[in-house]
Amino acid sequence: MQGFIISLIIFTSIFALFGLGLNLQWGFTGLINFGHVAFMTLGAYTTVLLSVQGVPLPLATLVGALVAAGLGLLMGFATLRLRTDYLAIVTIGVSEMIRLIAVNEGWLTRGTLGLQGFPLPLASLNPTFPVRIVMLLLITAIVALGYRQLWRSLRQTLKKLPPEAIVPITVMALGYGSSLGLLLVGTGWAAKQLKPLLPAWGLGCLLLLALTLIGYFYIGLAQRLTKRRPQWSTGLMLVSTSALAVCGLWIYGIAIDAIYHYEKSPAKTGLMVISVAILALIYWGLEKLVRSPWGRVLKAIREDEEVTKALGKNVFAYKLQVLMLGGAIAGIAGALYSWQLTTVYPDNFPPLVTFDAWTIVVLGGAGNNAGTLLGSAIFWAYYNVTRFILGDIVPLDDARLGAFRIMLIGLLLMVVMVWRPQGILGKKEELTLGQ
Amino acid sequence: MGNEMGNEMGHETPETQLEVQPLLSAIDLCKSYGGLRAVDRVSIQVPSGSITGLIGPNGAGKTTLFNLLCNFAHPDSGQVTFDGAPIHTLPSHQISQKGLVRTFQVARVLSRLSVMENMLLAAQHQTGEKFWNVWFRPGQTQKEERQQREYASEILASVGLSAMAQSYAGALSGGQRKLLEIARALMVRPKMILLDEPAAGVNPTLINQICEHITQWNQAGITFLIIEHNMDVIMSLCDRVWVLAEGQNLASGTPIEIQQDPLVLKAYLGQ
Repeated sequence: MQGFIISLIIFTSIFALFGLGLNLQWGFTGLINFGHVAFMTLGAYTTVLLSVQGVPLPLATLVGALVAAGLGLLMGFATLRLRTDYLAIVTIGVSEMIRLIAVNEGWLTRGTLGLQGFPLPLASLNPTFPVRIVMLLLITAIVALGYRQLWRSLRQTLKKLPPEAIVPITVMALGYGSSLGLLLVGTGWAAKQLKPLLPAWGLGCLLLLALTLIGYFYIGLAQRLTKRRPQWSTGLMLVSTSALAVCGLWIYGIAIDAIYHYEKSPAKTGLMVISVAILALIYWGLEKLVRSPWGRVLKAIREDEEVTKALGKNVFAYKLQVLMLGGAIAGIAGALYSWQLTTVYPDNFPPLVTFDAWTIVVLGGAGNNAGTLLGSAIFWAYYNVTRFILGDIVPLDDARLGAFRIMLIGLLLMVVMVWRPQGILGKKEELTLGQ
Repeated sequence: MGNEMGNEMGHETPETQLEVQPLLSAIDLCKSYGGLRAVDRVSIQVPSGSITGLIGPNGAGKTTLFNLLCNFAHPDSGQVTFDGAPIHTLPSHQISQKGLVRTFQVARVLSRLSVMENMLLAAQHQTGEKFWNVWFRPGQTQKEERQQREYASEILASVGLSAMAQSYAGALSGGQRKLLEIARALMVRPKMILLDEPAAGVNPTLINQICEHITQWNQAGITFLIIEHNMDVIMSLCDRVWVLAEGQNLASGTPIEIQQDPLVLKAYLGQ
């Protein structure tokens, strides 16, 4: 269980980082990048190849990030005049090119044989007690800062509500959420019991029927509740945030325990500390950036390039900076990804990875860094939870189950888009304004 | 204001104008789109401190001329001089940085930025616009930001948009957008503003307001070049008027002269 949670934290951090790069490019600047995985591939391969040659890991990672930034620069120059769809086509082409180079240039990348046995960070470390304490404090500080921010945003939401409404909407949301959760868990449990008894098609039909009924009833209920009390969705937000906060504390406890017993799985624990620290650092840096005059120019470019030019901003230079910075961040994510996988194959970087990042960013809300973190957490929690649970419930073999999980992600995305087109943390006003 | 020197009735040659060093001058600008000569050997001078009008029938090439002046479209030939230096080879953002700012025919606000952010964006040479400065010179960045915010509030107050400062620019009405666009151009602290139809689609009261503001800012030292179809606006504001038709210079002179010019009457004003 502990190993599972640790790897969940690592994956979440890596993809949050990866998504932050895309969010900077698309969410803030409006550059449609369908080849984000190219930066990750370059970062991963550069770091690993250099570290195999004996270059120290921090330096190798830095060079990896720089190489990824270099690709951003190239892409930027090549697409000087391109916008929207055309830029998207070029980026997807570049990412496939990078992957095919990784497949075919065997002298450099060992092609499809892949790279294994490369150095991992902090893997052979057996930290002394003070070092462990420092790690604990670091993680604790990051978590504490995270909770402070969560608390602040919660308080702001609460301030907007009339005080007498808080209790009823919380109760409503609590009832709604917990009864829905119980029903779903109950259905899952029942299906698990029935699985040996019923033929596959029978169970499938029953499951579909049950889910349709539950879905129909709860969507109708949600609509009626919205009519009676429009703020109740805020209550839903409050309840889920609190649930998330409690969940976060539990995960924090596990992480703390893992650091305390560092020697049990040094490579993973070390990687967890590193990824969380890097994520926190980059998140902080980006938040500062997007709230600065620099970030304001990016948002202006997203809204209207010509106006931004007319106001004396060098739009091209900003686009280059964004492609490079987003690329470098994805490059760092690539290095972490290779350490998490401990082997690197070209197949680790299919175009699908780019779209995972898109799912994360869209789910959380474009142009919102905290949303990207949340999106990544939901994405990976879903991905891992379904891997264990769905197998017991759904009458499908493993290969089909994999496809089925991806279908469900699509469905989740659709539900979010219908319910909150702006993403979970996005601002609704921004969506309705348009031009 | 009131550069009515060297007036002769009828058409002037550019040479007579050169006695007063113009702030902006364009000589023999040409621009073709395919076979269409949108702007054909157009010359125009805008004296420093004036409010100059630019009129002409739809499709006469007025907006194209604006685009050429700011290098939003690159002229095929001809040259543009602003404040004593040629600018037709500069990228458009550098032209704005030199103090020549344009607005657009259909008001273009940055919808998902607040009104205040729209204003702050327009300030030039901000320390915090370089991303390393955001981390390494946060103090300077914040200080400038405070100053710009004060200046922006003043301008917003003068155009009556103070109450909207924190709302999204996309939530403004058409007239308010026009005001915001002009206010935003002022925020650049320009020497000269090119206004493309500031009174189009705006109610009469607001038109009067806009005109008052323009006069006021002109007195504060800003030169204006205005494209406008509303003749009242042109007549009340402008010191000089240039007329374009079918991509060519048709006439120029004081508003009164223009109103009586038979060529202009035929091509533009009717009768």
